[in-house]
Amino acid sequence: MPWISVDAGRWVADVELSLSVNGRSHPIDAEPGETLLHVLRERLGLTGAKEGCSEGECGACTVLVGGRPMDSCLLAVHSVAGSEITTIEGVGEPGGALSPLQEAMVRAGGVQCGFCTPGFVMTLTALLADQPNPAEDDIRRALAGNICRCTGYAQIVDAVLTIAGGGR
Amino acid sequence: MSVIGTSTVRTDGSSKVRGDAVYTVDIGLPGMLHASLLRSPVAAGQITRLDPSKALESPEVWSVITAADAPSHRHGLIIGDQRILASRRVAFEGEPIAAIAAETPRAARAAAATIELAIDEEDPIVDLDLAVAEGARLVHPDWATFRPVGDDFPRQGNVAGELLSDPPGVDDAFARAPLVVEDEYRAGRQYQAYLEPKAVVAEYESGRYTIHVSHQFPFNVRDRLAAALAVRPSAIRVVGHHIGGGFGAKLDLGIEPHAALLARATGRSVKLVQDRTEDLITCPSRENGVVRIRSAVGADGTILAREIDVLMDAGAAAGDTPILCSLPLLLAGGAYKVGPTRVRARAVYTNTAPTGAFRGVSGTYLVFAVESHMDHIAAELGIDRRELRLRNLMEDGDRLRNGQELPDASILREAFTRVEEMTPWANTGLGTYRGVGISATVWLTNPMPGSAVLKLHEDGTLGVVTAATDNGSGAVTMGVIQIAAEQLGLHPDDVVVTMPDTDTAAYDAGSQGSRTTHIVGRAVEAAGAELRTKVLRTAGEMLEAAPEDLELVAGSVGVRGVPDSRIPLADVAKEATFSVGPLSGSGSYATILPGYDPSCASGMLFPAFPTPTYHVHLAEVEVDPVTGNVTILRYIVAQEVGRAINPDGVWGQIQGGVAQGLGYALYEGLQIGADGRYQQRTLESYRLPIAPDIPRVEVIILEHPDPAGPFGAKGVAEPPVVPVAAAVANAVADAVGAPITSIPITPNDVLDALERAAR
Repeated sequence: MPWISVDAGRWVADVELSLSVNGRSHPIDAEPGETLLHVLRERLGLTGAKEGCSEGECGACTVLVGGRPMDSCLLAVHSVAGSEITTIEGVGEPGGALSPLQEAMVRAGGVQCGFCTPGFVMTLTALLADQPNPAEDDIRRALAGNICRCTGYAQIVDAVLTIAGGGR
Repeated sequence: MSVIGTSTVRTDGSSKVRGDAVYTVDIGLPGMLHASLLRSPVAAGQITRLDPSKALESPEVWSVITAADAPSHRHGLIIGDQRILASRRVAFEGEPIAAIAAETPRAARAAAATIELAIDEEDPIVDLDLAVAEGARLVHPDWATFRPVGDDFPRQGNVAGELLSDPPGVDDAFARAPLVVEDEYRAGRQYQAYLEPKAVVAEYESGRYTIHVSHQFPFNVRDRLAAALAVRPSAIRVVGHHIGGGFGAKLDLGIEPHAALLARATGRSVKLVQDRTEDLITCPSRENGVVRIRSAVGADGTILAREIDVLMDAGAAAGDTPILCSLPLLLAGGAYKVGPTRVRARAVYTNTAPTGAFRGVSGTYLVFAVESHMDHIAAELGIDRRELRLRNLMEDGDRLRNGQELPDASILREAFTRVEEMTPWANTGLGTYRGVGISATVWLTNPMPGSAVLKLHEDGTLGVVTAATDNGSGAVTMGVIQIAAEQLGLHPDDVVVTMPDTDTAAYDAGSQGSRTTHIVGRAVEAAGAELRTKVLRTAGEMLEAAPEDLELVAGSVGVRGVPDSRIPLADVAKEATFSVGPLSGSGSYATILPGYDPSCASGMLFPAFPTPTYHVHLAEVEVDPVTGNVTILRYIVAQEVGRAINPDGVWGQIQGGVAQGLGYALYEGLQIGADGRYQQRTLESYRLPIAPDIPRVEVIILEHPDPAGPFGAKGVAEPPVVPVAAAVANAVADAVGAPITSIPITPNDVLDALERAAR
């Protein structure tokens, strides 16, 4: 049932919806305009997606919506209620093996401070699903929406190249 | 097998790539409140009204603090010129005026918006030359009352710090020189733009504060916060968490005092996270500067004497800028012999956000100025640019302008040679709208102290207790761990390093100036030697062998050359623990400053370049004559590192440092309006380098092991950013046929230069 709450002096209605994240369904009472990133981090405890800029520039909050990488800080949670959402917590086995991409990111030195890393993994997971054998230019273009301030990008590109084509 | 010189993977890589590494922004504590700051919307003025009563009406608001509730004394890194909350005057846009704690971040922000604030605006001081001009309005009319933290230093009015060096022979050389070359260079501000905005969680319990923060220098937070709150340092515990990038911006005190005061006022834990615009406009960015440089030159290209005058924008608080005034002295000649040099460097107060440390402090634009000036001299004389550099290059035993001897400066020549072997100078920069630039520098390894305790656990693994921080560089998660592992014959996976905690570990000067692998590595080496001695003593008793006949190999101890004799390290640890007690070793280290001439200058707060390293960069570019865009075709770095403990780690630091340098050279610039406010306020308008912009850097690692370093290692991570703007500017100038005198080099600058060249 929708319920009513006070928000900065205005009466607003929360909306009940069901959100599918990493194959699990979550009932949510979302505030109007609440972002997917806020729901993931504050309501579901999925803090792997990071809030770097809140304006869709840095890509640290990237998640997959129906398999496509999107900035979760820009998405109203209502708009993705019907879609399957994958976050970094849904990549690899929880507490177990890393995905081949994650493994390659670590080995190639694609991780430094690590704050942007979940976003990069999500963008590249989608790229590899779409295009299993990308060339360096394809990889760099795909990464245009993700900012890394530490690595200079070469190591991240290398991580993808080492596993491109499904091989090593 | 030795793990030194091998590319082990960083130990926090797995948690970071899974997204389960905890940064300060991820922390939630039971009952935690959320804070927001009311900041000055204007750059300068008098507060005429400040009434927070409306904010307190919200049932979600727990506390509102203004200057009336905060310590009123001024604090600062080297001089007390900042207040936690502005009382009567504001001196920069973004200066905190009130702090609010509420149930949610949104409620805190909403409450901040209801505080009644009126400011009688003044015209801000923005321009550096006007700020130091006779009769300029003072940013801090009460500057003379500011108390230095240590010894006082030269300062006056809007000049927050000044270095002067006036050796004999300068005027003489200029009077006699066949050629005098003179230039002026300008550099903009650069935002560190770490991806994790500044954040803090504060707790207050039984008279002590606990501060959770992603900080490069937890002990500085402890000491600075103690001074700001007027409590003793031991009343503060700083707990470090994973750092989402810092690059120097997370070395000084930031928003910790505000969270601490709110935690004390409410009795609850308080979290304060900056939004991106707030972070950008208040960050201690790399200072903008003006460099005026003049050289007396012989016909053969010998530089007979030099004058250099530098204005460095400190913003509204001195921060570390008076310390950085020493850099123009240390880098006055760059990598070259320049004869007697007159230096004046001034840190200048303006009504702008206080500037601070950013990787390669001040060196980025000083080397840009020195190296662009070298190209100008070469052009005047008709000497090849590389040849001019080789003629003047420092050799073993040459001295910096502070009198410091560089016994191994000929590594510079080796670096030039190695770059030449990779790409012959004569074959580079050829073709229309293409150009090449080369630059060189000396850089330092920060000398400040560090420590480590190594403890052998009963399962044969090693614990390292240190307050060293890994800001992402891998200095702890690769370097320190490899050095510890090596000392005990262990695999790096069997070494665990604590996260920094000022209650647990002894003093450490944080991740700055590439110091961690060198300094903390040395401390670990010493601690490991002590622990090793104890291990061998116990093992000797167990094996009935002399300790000196034993070896530590792959997690076991045995008689050298007798593999059958080996017993697991775990057995030795257990035996010792339950007989003589657990085994541990401790070590500390700090670099003794190299000799220099203290009388060479006044106001010298950063007197020498300890543990110097040597660097040569080459950039090949192409400019688009229609759009003005610059493409980096090729980028080469020859860097001396002492010894590469982890070659992939070195390679990675060079890639990332060059990327930041390319951003600085070509894209990034915080422009300040006449109103004292930044014109770039988001990551949309502040243009950071992205993957398609940045080439794969070609890396030449030069190794000259340093007897003082752990296994020969010197500092690595800071300097790759330093010579980049210089190499790129010279390459662009070569491509367009006209000098480049300011950075960043925007497309408009390129088009203007093309026009000038065509005239």
